[in-house]
Amino acid sequence: MSSTVIPFGPQHPVLPEPLHIKLVMEDERIVEAIPAIGYVHRGLEKLTETKEFTQNTFVVERVCGICSVMHAMAYCQGMEELMNIAIPDRAKFLRVIWAELHRMHSHLLWLGLLADAFGFESLFMQAWRNREKVMDIMEETCGSRVVISANIIGGTRRDLSKEQMVKINQIVDEIKEDLEQLESVFLNNYTVKHRLVGRGVLTKEDAVEYCTVGPMARASGISMDLRTTGYSAYGQLDFEPIIHSDGDNYARTYVRLHEIYQSVDLVKQAIAKIPEGEHVIPVKGVPPKGDVISRVEQPRGEVLYFMRGNGTKTLDRLRLRTPTFANIPSLLKMLPGSELSDVGMLILTIDPCISCTER
Amino acid sequence: MIENLVEITSDQLLAETSKSKYESYRFVTSTCIDNGDDTIDVYYHFDKDYEMRNVKITVKKGEEIPSISRIFFSAILVENEMKELFGLNITDIAVDYGGHMLLSDEELSSPMLRQQITIEQRGGKQV
Repeated sequence: MSSTVIPFGPQHPVLPEPLHIKLVMEDERIVEAIPAIGYVHRGLEKLTETKEFTQNTFVVERVCGICSVMHAMAYCQGMEELMNIAIPDRAKFLRVIWAELHRMHSHLLWLGLLADAFGFESLFMQAWRNREKVMDIMEETCGSRVVISANIIGGTRRDLSKEQMVKINQIVDEIKEDLEQLESVFLNNYTVKHRLVGRGVLTKEDAVEYCTVGPMARASGISMDLRTTGYSAYGQLDFEPIIHSDGDNYARTYVRLHEIYQSVDLVKQAIAKIPEGEHVIPVKGVPPKGDVISRVEQPRGEVLYFMRGNGTKTLDRLRLRTPTFANIPSLLKMLPGSELSDVGMLILTIDPCISCTER
Repeated sequence: MIENLVEITSDQLLAETSKSKYESYRFVTSTCIDNGDDTIDVYYHFDKDYEMRNVKITVKKGEEIPSISRIFFSAILVENEMKELFGLNITDIAVDYGGHMLLSDEELSSPMLRQQITIEQRGGKQV
């Protein structure tokens, strides 16, 4: 049978960011997929070599708005290890609170995009209406909605008052109640299930083979969540990774949706356990010569930061590997065998972040 | 600072990578650092149950490095990226973009390098 090459993207209604995939088709079925990236590469890693180590916190936040807190968290955590800085316990809990709020808004954003992709406009609006509540918390606590610059080396730039924490507790409860109403549509609606169940299957074996990370890996039955290593204040909070075994579009939706509940719980636990005291300590000196690695669990999965200090205010190298970068090879495994009509939904369910991937 | 660090030569890379795969490690990513002289450090990061294993090679600019993408397919993107941005001479990548995964056809420099190497010196073929 003769094959046809269909270009998918870089501009497509389901793609919030530019990704191009050459789809080699036989009839309606994909036999091969070759990705092409490079549309939004900004050279941020190179930029960090020209900035002082304290300024880099604000550069790495610009890698991606959706997980900006976790980028800064991973960077600060690594620099603190390199410079042998012990941050206050309160700062660790504050970092967890803002990180989990970011996970909530990332997953709510994705749920909205998913609903929009299968044409369920009211569901899309309800998901994003819920997300707005998180964005309002960001604005109220940090002064901006997306890139909030909460983390700095040595702790956090801001603290939370008791009144703010009471309010956050109330709002995350509201978000949970609203999400419980949306859950039955996302997970039980006949039409929605028709587009998700059994489509884009990534088996556990394939997820291991292709080194998949984050909710994608967990939706394929792999119990992998870096938060369980206990970095920051996670070691003092109770939670288990959300796992599903089917590995299809539905499983990935299930995992992300339930991770919002988990984030609500983690925020509430962190608020209940946060100790009194300082939220930042002054940082003196410059990073010594040496290499360090820092990893955290972003909404899309594991992010790795590598830093090399040289004894000056600038770094010799800052390298970061984002979760979408790790998950694109899995997408190339999932696409062959799928039908053309499923491609949009399939790509969306890996929750691609191209600005993260290209940096 | 980096735990579980193994320093090897480039001709030991495939054997070391195969060993990592055999021992059920996951390939995380690679990191490339221009040392500012005529050498480049390349780290290969692996993970098993949250324990990292880091393999480091130091190569001269222009020296051939075998691709590990035949062992860990997930290395294709990072190897193409290192080939383009650092001018690393990585051979036999499972999907080789010929130096143009991120960079345009007109771009001939390796922007992350401190001393420039042109794309013609890298070889490789366009997919």
